Amino acid sequence: MSSFRPNSCAALAVLALTAAASLPAQEGEERSIDIYYGSKPTEYQVAIWGPDSVPSPGYAFRCARILPVTSEPIEDGVVLTRNGKIVAYGKADEIAVPDGFEVMDLGDTWCVPGLVELHCHIAADGFDLNDTVHQTNPEMRTLDLITMGHQQMVDARAGGVTTVLYIPGSGSNMGGFGTLTKTWGRNPQEALIRFPGCLKVAQAGNPERRSGDLGLGPMGMNEGLRLTFEQGKAYHEEWVAWEKGEGPKPEKKANLELLRGLFRHEYPVAVHTQIYQVAQQTIRQLRLELGLWTVIVHGTFDAYRLSEFAQVSGVPIANGPRQYHFDSGRGWGSGSGAESSFVGLADAWYSGGQHGWQEPVKGVGIDGIAVNTDSPVVAQEELTLQCAMAVRLGLPDAVGLRALTINPARFMRIDDRVGSIEVGKDADMAFWSGDPIDPRSHVRMTVINGNVAYRRDPRHPRF
Amino acid sequence: MNSPKIPGSLAFRAVLVALAVGCAADAALAQRPRFRRPDGAGGRPQPQQAEPEAPAEEKKVESWTAIRGGDVYLGDGTLLRRATVLIGDDKIHAVGHEVEIPEDATILEAEGKVVAPGFCIVKASGFGAPRSGEDVRDGMNPFDPTIKMGLAAGITSFLWQNGSGNDKPGGNSSLVKLAYGDLEGMVGPSDSVKTMRVPLNPQQMKTFRDLVKQAREHQDAVREAAKDDKKPAPKPPRGTEDILKILDGETRLWISMGGGSRMFRGGGDGGGDDTTEIRQAMEIASLLGRGVVLDDPVCAWVIADEVAATGSMAIVNPRNRVPSREGFEDSTGSNIAQAAILHDVGVPVAVTAPGGRFGGSGVGTGGILGQDLNTPHVDAAFAVRGGMPNRQALRTLTLDAARIMGVEARVGSLEVGKDADVLILDGDPLHYKTFVDTALVNGKVAYVRAEEPYYRHIRR
Repeated sequence: MSSFRPNSCAALAVLALTAAASLPAQEGEERSIDIYYGSKPTEYQVAIWGPDSVPSPGYAFRCARILPVTSEPIEDGVVLTRNGKIVAYGKADEIAVPDGFEVMDLGDTWCVPGLVELHCHIAADGFDLNDTVHQTNPEMRTLDLITMGHQQMVDARAGGVTTVLYIPGSGSNMGGFGTLTKTWGRNPQEALIRFPGCLKVAQAGNPERRSGDLGLGPMGMNEGLRLTFEQGKAYHEEWVAWEKGEGPKPEKKANLELLRGLFRHEYPVAVHTQIYQVAQQTIRQLRLELGLWTVIVHGTFDAYRLSEFAQVSGVPIANGPRQYHFDSGRGWGSGSGAESSFVGLADAWYSGGQHGWQEPVKGVGIDGIAVNTDSPVVAQEELTLQCAMAVRLGLPDAVGLRALTINPARFMRIDDRVGSIEVGKDADMAFWSGDPIDPRSHVRMTVINGNVAYRRDPRHPRF
Repeated sequence: MNSPKIPGSLAFRAVLVALAVGCAADAALAQRPRFRRPDGAGGRPQPQQAEPEAPAEEKKVESWTAIRGGDVYLGDGTLLRRATVLIGDDKIHAVGHEVEIPEDATILEAEGKVVAPGFCIVKASGFGAPRSGEDVRDGMNPFDPTIKMGLAAGITSFLWQNGSGNDKPGGNSSLVKLAYGDLEGMVGPSDSVKTMRVPLNPQQMKTFRDLVKQAREHQDAVREAAKDDKKPAPKPPRGTEDILKILDGETRLWISMGGGSRMFRGGGDGGGDDTTEIRQAMEIASLLGRGVVLDDPVCAWVIADEVAATGSMAIVNPRNRVPSREGFEDSTGSNIAQAAILHDVGVPVAVTAPGGRFGGSGVGTGGILGQDLNTPHVDAAFAVRGGMPNRQALRTLTLDAARIMGVEARVGSLEVGKDADVLILDGDPLHYKTFVDTALVNGKVAYVRAEEPYYRHIRR
């Protein structure tokens, strides 16, 4: 960006916007949830990161409205991008388009940050994500399966989804390691954000499919998980001891190496967990006992009754694919006045409340909730519909778009890269025909890393 | 008392039902114009539409209900702002701005609300109706709680289906109304729909042609016999009974495409092209001289004009995703604009929920939300995403859905004489946040949001 500096007027405008009083916490300010990341690693020994910037031309995207998410909306806006990054944004009449920047007039559209999906199984062909070789499979990974041209990746771009946490299935208790990737790149290396994006653990509600064997009830499955984690932890501690000069150099163990990064807090464990008891095990075992950076990426059925436990434990919630719990009133809900109601899960996690059976409890709040699709269970391009359903069942509008953008980005600690329109962040955005949460709106263009990754064909629109 | 006034301009205009003439369809097929707008007077078959039957004699109304002051969507694409819907017993009695409300009428205030016909769902299960294989009346449970859940979603009627035809029309169907607690009120006309599938192999096609020929000969014989009082009416040849009903316009024929074009999400290879199957269905339509209903086609958007030329209709899931064949993006694969493209050339469209293990019409209201029958208005919203205008998209759940089910004389719009199946909504019918405040079926209040547990806790 040597040839370009935003004019001072625009810089002031951006400052004024980010300082607006109604905005959620800035860096260092208090958030509704203090996500537990563990100690931030001073160096990444296990995780690998994709390129921080990729080649892209200078573009000036003009549109009717910008929703930066972390600051107030801007009418008649322009976003300048180059080499994969946002270099300026603001009102069109306050930002000069520098020489060499091509103007893209997106007319009456709304500019929305690229959406972030934390529960995705689409990047490879079919259902090849459940290799249940063992009950726990810490040696497996999705990194090598990613196919940029996959039809569902194309559909994802058509739905404005630009970042996905592509994870193994929930057929075994530990399916392997997931990958954080953009949904477009000239090749998977360019699209990569971080590998591992996370470890995938499935605590219940699928991995017990081979029930009838011994040790496949909830307690047995957790014992299997604990044994694998304890091995990984011991291996991690051997390396720590060696680094401190307190022990011999450990022998490298391929099947435990990626677990080591987990205990170094280089990436989180993303947990397919649902139902009260199981989510309780998740928070207690993974987060509190093992000290892992833990993100819930299912959170369905009555697990929402743990909203305060999640909040005080620093465990954020990405809820989906199911967006409601049908409280039949026969269980703990009886006598609560909540019988047979459609409890909106995202709202219940977000706002807390009486939850039908106990004293009112806290929710995870505006910074603690995201929604996801579990694609292809719900099609990847329908991520915004998940949000529409969450909002339908009570999640406030103001939280809705955050649940698709900055919140999931923070859960993965990639919010310095994606999740909002901010100067210096990746140029990932989509231009929508209107309110992105309304299923009647469509994406006209999707931009990933500053490159045009999708254009709607008016005769044969994909979505 | 005086009969309430019905402004003439508000009465539904009689829709021209063109005579179904096989040769006209053939001629229209031969031309195959691309994306021609329907002129309605070109002599080609128009999609079928029956008018409500006038009562044999003026029945004295015993109970009046007036829904007053709401913005009223009639269901045919018309919107009347701040109008009144007057219900006499179980039927729509009048709709308009100057409707005189009888003194003893029960008033439902709808100021600031939206009034719409109850949604007609072309494919569904549950809602108190029995599973396939049982008698619809014997197996019905009018107190099934899923009836209330359906009403909460705006559904007031659906087509119950029992079995299906294969290489010729078959299966039974019945209109089921969500008249909670009222067994008699739940069962509507039966066998308004027969089903079959394509592709037919040459032998099956020949058999089908022969049956249609026999059925036509039988029609001639019946006409001949009618001239002579003494002659008994001839019996229909075996296997032509259902075809005769279709030829007589009593029954609509739904044709499914057999799924030959489908590619499994992320795998399989069906080529993303079912135009061959659709064309065979159009051939069947021409043979019958009647439009048929394409059940969930993928590529009807590619040959929309051919579909229109036969007076056919279509059931569409706008969100259906079937990949295009590489290099053939203009003529293969699903298209979210399919509903809009079909509508543009005059093909009535009904929307249905996407299928799948966790959603679809098969799971009824037991899916995962947004994919099931808890939000039918969202499926119509996806038709808007594909380019269909809002008010026309509402028809995919109301009048056009009823035509596809063959029951538009009874339900589907707020037309005088039709069943009083009416929704009072808290907003735009196709907005994702809109809820049903009150649902009436057969003129009776069957659901009140504030009195039922499902959604009353949701505050804005």
